[in-house]
Amino acid sequence: MKKLLVALACVGSLSFAADYDPVKGEMLSLSCFACHGTDGKSVAITPYIAGMGKTTLYQVLLEYKNGTRTGTMMPKHVKGFSDEELMQVAEYFSNIKR
Amino acid sequence: MINRRNFNKLLVGSVALSMTACTGLTSVSTLPKGKNRVVVVGGGFGGATAAKYLKRFSPDAEVVLIEKNTEYYTCPFSNTVIGGLNKIDYIKHDYKTLASKYGIKVIHATVKKVDGKNKTVVLENGETIAYTKAVVSPGIDFKYEKGYVEGSEMYAPHAYKAGPQTELLTKQLQGMKDGGTYVMVAPANPFRCPPGPYERISLVANYIKNNKPNSKIIILDQKNKFSKQGLFQEGWEKLYPGLIEWRSAEFGGKVEKIDPKNLVVTTEEEDIKADVINYIPNQKAGKLAFESGLVEGDWCPINTKTFESRLVKDVYVIGDACIAASMPKSGFSANSQAKIAALQISRKLKKLSVINPPKLANTCYSLVGPGYGISVAAVYEAKEDKVHKVPGSGGLSPSNADNSIRLQEAEYAVGWYQNQMEDVFR
Repeated sequence: MKKLLVALACVGSLSFAADYDPVKGEMLSLSCFACHGTDGKSVAITPYIAGMGKTTLYQVLLEYKNGTRTGTMMPKHVKGFSDEELMQVAEYFSNIKR
Repeated sequence: MINRRNFNKLLVGSVALSMTACTGLTSVSTLPKGKNRVVVVGGGFGGATAAKYLKRFSPDAEVVLIEKNTEYYTCPFSNTVIGGLNKIDYIKHDYKTLASKYGIKVIHATVKKVDGKNKTVVLENGETIAYTKAVVSPGIDFKYEKGYVEGSEMYAPHAYKAGPQTELLTKQLQGMKDGGTYVMVAPANPFRCPPGPYERISLVANYIKNNKPNSKIIILDQKNKFSKQGLFQEGWEKLYPGLIEWRSAEFGGKVEKIDPKNLVVTTEEEDIKADVINYIPNQKAGKLAFESGLVEGDWCPINTKTFESRLVKDVYVIGDACIAASMPKSGFSANSQAKIAALQISRKLKKLSVINPPKLANTCYSLVGPGYGISVAAVYEAKEDKVHKVPGSGGLSPSNADNSIRLQEAEYAVGWYQNQMEDVFR
């Protein structure tokens, strides 16, 4: 029984892994600013991503990663991040005031 | 020694200053009381970004940015000026916002060297500025050899530091006769902006095709292959068939000497008399890196996780001058490195552990023609020995792509430039 409970606890914690670390979230997001604007506040045609919903942005990034969504540049970048890192990035931008 | 009055004179003498930047300054030959001071040397992609992000991560620190010029002309997009697609003002930026919005103390003066032993930055006029940490982003210097000396750039411009050189090469191209020979000498590795020379040739070809169609272009390359080569050559074939001749080093490209005044380039096989020569010399770290003892060979070795110099403690080197392979030497890389360096410095100032491993990136867009863009990108992680590309990430634009893809990338190139400039200077 104990083994089963431990196994269930492990599976339960996989879907939204570690707690959000704002320092790591910001660090991972820094290189995005070059194209998307500082803090995602784009002043050009590249999408404005500051304040985007966390789940939506995470979903978009995962879709670029698994090929469901195509793009000229995004797939190349998201493949440099683990799923957990992409979640941190999504949370970072979701917290920015538009 | 520099006292408060002289320091303020230096500040007031520069255009970029506001009153807020002048106030709160104490003697600069020693550190401000109870405060950290980080001095950034060099106001390009690396230095300007470092100054801004140091303030972001350490708002209580005094951040000083020393840049000899009051305006900065970007190499990125300078090829569009040379090709007649944009005016020089398109690539011109200043330091006013960094000073007024972020309270960065901007000083327009020439730095002689960083004195790591005494922890001061020494100006050309002998005055010194004490620092807790220093960030050095000195860019590149040229190897003067084969008959190309300081001053030769007035005859055979390199245009590899933007501004007056960009204007000179533009003027020379516009003044060339129809039927003239335009020669570029492309440098050996490593050098700043690997695709840069080939984007330049592309936009020169676009100008020549439309204005001086009987002319020809020869690239004398000091190496045997180049960045995005397949994509460039596919584009040249499509847009400028028969106009561009590329000679690799092993097949006629290797230059033995140049006569800049008479515009003659000598290869192993022949003397080429040109009407315009864009001579891009082989490169090394900026001069003040050598003066400061930061160099090993031609470039500056660093701790890849923090960008602290391996040779001088508390001095950080970023941008083209540092050895950050496998990152290319580019503006995007410098901006990415500057943010990480600023973050790590801020953590050290607060006695926190550094971020490990930091993540970095590079994206290089090139315009093969107006509305025809190509790119290369990568994501990196800094490990103990070097900066490694994250496996599976990055890549090139696809070959034989639709015009719509090329157009989209050309538009994203502009999007990158506009957002990048905001991120660096505003």
